[in-house]
Amino acid sequence: MKQSDMVAQKDYWAKSACKMCIHSCAIVAHVVDGVVIKIEGDPDNPSNRGKLCPKGQAGIMRLYDPHRVKTPMKRTNPQKGAGVDPKWVPISWDEALSTVAEKLKKIREDDPRKLLVAINDFHRIHIWGWGSAFGTPHYFSTVGQYCGAAYHPINGTLDGSFASVNDYDHCKYWIQIGAGDGFSSHLHVAASIKRMASARVDRGMKLIVVEPRLSSGASKADEWLPIRPGTDRAFVLGMCYTLLHELNIYDAGFMRKHTNGIYLVAPDGNLLRNAETEKPMVWDSVKGSAREYDAVDLNLQDVALEGSFTIDGVEYKPAFQVIKDTLKDHTPERMAEICSIPAETIRRIAQEFGEAACIGSTIMLNGKEYPYRPAAVNFYRGAIGHFDGGLDSLAMKLINLIIGNIDVPGGHIGVGLDHRLLVINPGKDGMLHPEPHLLHPPYEFKEKPYSFQLMEWYPIGIDPGHLTADNVLNPEKWGFDFQPEALLIEHSNPMWNLSATNKVVDVFKRMKFIVAIDIVLNESTDWADIVLPDLSYLESDLLVCIEPPMVTGHVYRRPVIKPLYDGRDATDILTDLADRIGFLPNWNGLLNFTTFLTPENYLDPNRKYSNLEITDRMAKSLYGPEKGLEWFQANGHTTRLQTPEEMYLPFAAKGLRIPLYFNFIKETGDDLARKMEAGNKAWDTSSYLPVPIWRDHHPLHNMPPEYDLYAFAFKECQTNFSESTNIPWIDEAISCMPIHLGVMINSKTAKKKGIKTGDILKLESPFGEVTGRASVCEEVHPDCLALSNGMSRWSQHPVGKRKVTTHFNRLLPADVKWTDGMTGHLETSTKVKVSIISE
Amino acid sequence: MHYGMVVDLKRCVGCQACTIACKSENGTPPGVMYTKVLDQVSGEYPNVRKQFVPVLCNHCVNAPCQRVCPTGATYKRDDGLVLVDHDKCMGCRACYVACPYNNRIFLKRGRLKQGYHGKVMTPYEAVKYKEHQDGIVEKCKFCSHRVDEGLKPACVQTCPADARIFGDLDDPNSTVSRLIRSRGGVQALSDDNTEPSVYYLS
Repeated sequence: MKQSDMVAQKDYWAKSACKMCIHSCAIVAHVVDGVVIKIEGDPDNPSNRGKLCPKGQAGIMRLYDPHRVKTPMKRTNPQKGAGVDPKWVPISWDEALSTVAEKLKKIREDDPRKLLVAINDFHRIHIWGWGSAFGTPHYFSTVGQYCGAAYHPINGTLDGSFASVNDYDHCKYWIQIGAGDGFSSHLHVAASIKRMASARVDRGMKLIVVEPRLSSGASKADEWLPIRPGTDRAFVLGMCYTLLHELNIYDAGFMRKHTNGIYLVAPDGNLLRNAETEKPMVWDSVKGSAREYDAVDLNLQDVALEGSFTIDGVEYKPAFQVIKDTLKDHTPERMAEICSIPAETIRRIAQEFGEAACIGSTIMLNGKEYPYRPAAVNFYRGAIGHFDGGLDSLAMKLINLIIGNIDVPGGHIGVGLDHRLLVINPGKDGMLHPEPHLLHPPYEFKEKPYSFQLMEWYPIGIDPGHLTADNVLNPEKWGFDFQPEALLIEHSNPMWNLSATNKVVDVFKRMKFIVAIDIVLNESTDWADIVLPDLSYLESDLLVCIEPPMVTGHVYRRPVIKPLYDGRDATDILTDLADRIGFLPNWNGLLNFTTFLTPENYLDPNRKYSNLEITDRMAKSLYGPEKGLEWFQANGHTTRLQTPEEMYLPFAAKGLRIPLYFNFIKETGDDLARKMEAGNKAWDTSSYLPVPIWRDHHPLHNMPPEYDLYAFAFKECQTNFSESTNIPWIDEAISCMPIHLGVMINSKTAKKKGIKTGDILKLESPFGEVTGRASVCEEVHPDCLALSNGMSRWSQHPVGKRKVTTHFNRLLPADVKWTDGMTGHLETSTKVKVSIISE
Repeated sequence: MHYGMVVDLKRCVGCQACTIACKSENGTPPGVMYTKVLDQVSGEYPNVRKQFVPVLCNHCVNAPCQRVCPTGATYKRDDGLVLVDHDKCMGCRACYVACPYNNRIFLKRGRLKQGYHGKVMTPYEAVKYKEHQDGIVEKCKFCSHRVDEGLKPACVQTCPADARIFGDLDDPNSTVSRLIRSRGGVQALSDDNTEPSVYYLS
């Protein structure tokens, strides 16, 4: 139905898309006399099938939040600071936009790099590149620290995916490490809870959860294995050792057919290549010679996976043998010392996992036979949000690769960033092209750094926005010879979401001009000079599809009512600014790319297009000329279940192999090391390894002994994303949940330290301190403190404010030393010393 | 016809979607929750067990709240729903005391004058608070207004885990009856002979 006809009705249900978290469940909103009185999951959508999480239900209270930004505003109080009232006064759109444009135009003419950008609107990925169209490469907000700088690039490198999750429909033995899938967060949580509950209860799937805290997932698991933070890789490598060196369980067929495990590796770790064709070589054990991997008469059964072969006096081994050899000292005993899970448990879980994998078995789906591997390890930020996080991710992939479960029924399945499913393109050596950069193209390497987040020195990583503050404040460290003057924020809260908060404050203090686009004021907008009101998700248009497991297509987010206030869609605001500042052609060119436009729908470089026009062109480009905006207004979504062909072994369908041995990572690291050496820069590339190992020099585990307890933050379904913490219904619900009310400390640890529930504690790390109320419990590892993000806000917003604010990020560092060399992920756990301030 | 609910504790993940769906459906004012999910922790580390237990009015067959109500405000429908007639309730709170499950809520006078943001009512609250009355006792209605339209209660509709199942306890072939039989449904405080219409599966 047309928008005007729909909102003219007295009583209607409007289809739209939720945006109370990073994902995009389909919803229906009930509107009576112009007021939204209920939001439910859209029963017609094959993803969430009518279900909706608590945040989605609470969207009404975000829409009608009286603290929304209702009109453009400027500050009249020149004093800035936390808790200082900006004394906002309303101004017209024209005054606001011309003021912003004038300031930014001047900067752009002078040096566009003087603008910092924090655009964090995950649903509108198409606007993330506004800064690059302006001419600035900086990113001053957290991206990878939220989710996975060390997660997404490794997914993309393995199988062209952006995320991954185990196969809800077929898995029978699910190990979950540091992840909320199916319980609290990640990948369309309402849809995933339903699928997980069905797998657990209806199909009797066994669930093992590995985490330092008894999360909702661990509560429902058959077994909870408490672990020290940042040691998940040790647990998994202990399992790999057991499978490879004790039980001899691995999927040789999968490795031969679908991976580079057969490629011969030289002693220096590089692949043996044919001198002329440069093709990788394998060992033909019948012929007793090395041959090109794709030789026509090569019989895969005859190709060696193990062994050692001397050619011209040099010893070469198949990659799989290299992996085995590399891990030969990763015994369960040694790994148990590191992770605190007993060696016999590591062995037992490895055996259960290996046996549950049913290696060799197959399943028929839609008349086609696939391997059937109903065991898989699923993981997310808790497992990989660490120094050496890239190696953490590789280890999690390796344990799955060993049993041959990647993208096969029952196993570990890649999930696309959007409607694109997995990005399967041919790379070199008969392999899938590694796709570590699905969010934006990589930054070109330069010896002299040019982005404050140093993205040019993280060729596999995702913008380490946490480095920006350190580099602005210490430009001499890496040789920056310019300083930022202004900051543009869109749906982001860098003051709250970045670590080392004091440094972030110092950067905010240095800004001569800050403009923020948002729907509610937050810790960062408190510092802005001008705030521009965006439209809420229930008032705006977008085709959206964020990391959907099992399905593909778009949900149409539409305004379910007329906008309440004088807001404008953030896309329109940024287009208007691009026009006024004078870079509309660059912006339109970028939108052609980021909204997937086909040539016949390309934007005229010099014309301003509304968000609606762009949405219409995007729809037509993706779904054909008949399926423009009008079609979506009538039909709501194009979401459908993925076919088995799309979900399972999509790389094999194109004749491509995936890595078992990550030589791409080693080669990238070697290349970076050469470039850095040439530029005389001391830069650690030691984590760019082709095989994951445990490395004892991990800084988290080598902190001075007075910092005797690990500390980490967690979220549950109610508080996943700060969107929800100042919504009164959510605030009320979590106020009844002990986990969200204080610093969780194990009873035995508390007893030793004389801490009782309710004591006000001081937590000090080497990087900062916070206060918190003690909550003595059984649900956390004795070496750890666990802090809910539900008590982390301190903005002027009256809802969700706690008497004692415990903002975990203040305890974290934010410099290169604490950043994963391979992927740019920050170490997101820390260690603290605890003292009692008052009882 | 006897409406009842089965709560599958194996499925429930404690997400509180039901709690918020109930708020949204019924527009309950601050501090009023017809349903919520309790976190129950037992054992000692590392042998800890955590269970999420959704609680709501049990719509008892032998409802003590109904027995003690002096005005007949609390009544039982033929389909098993235990409801409160706002016009008849005088707010004496006898039911509040009688309910062994603590599932009745007294709305003090003046309580509807303030919403979640103080005296400024959101448009949503301005509409929904009219469905309530202060000075009386309220509770979960099994979403009688939805049930009368052939819909499921809001908490059941949204539950992502399908941990709440609603249906006819009189019909031996209904999903609720079959689940109670096959998995051994248990009623809360069954010794009190209240005969709840809510069954728990563990």
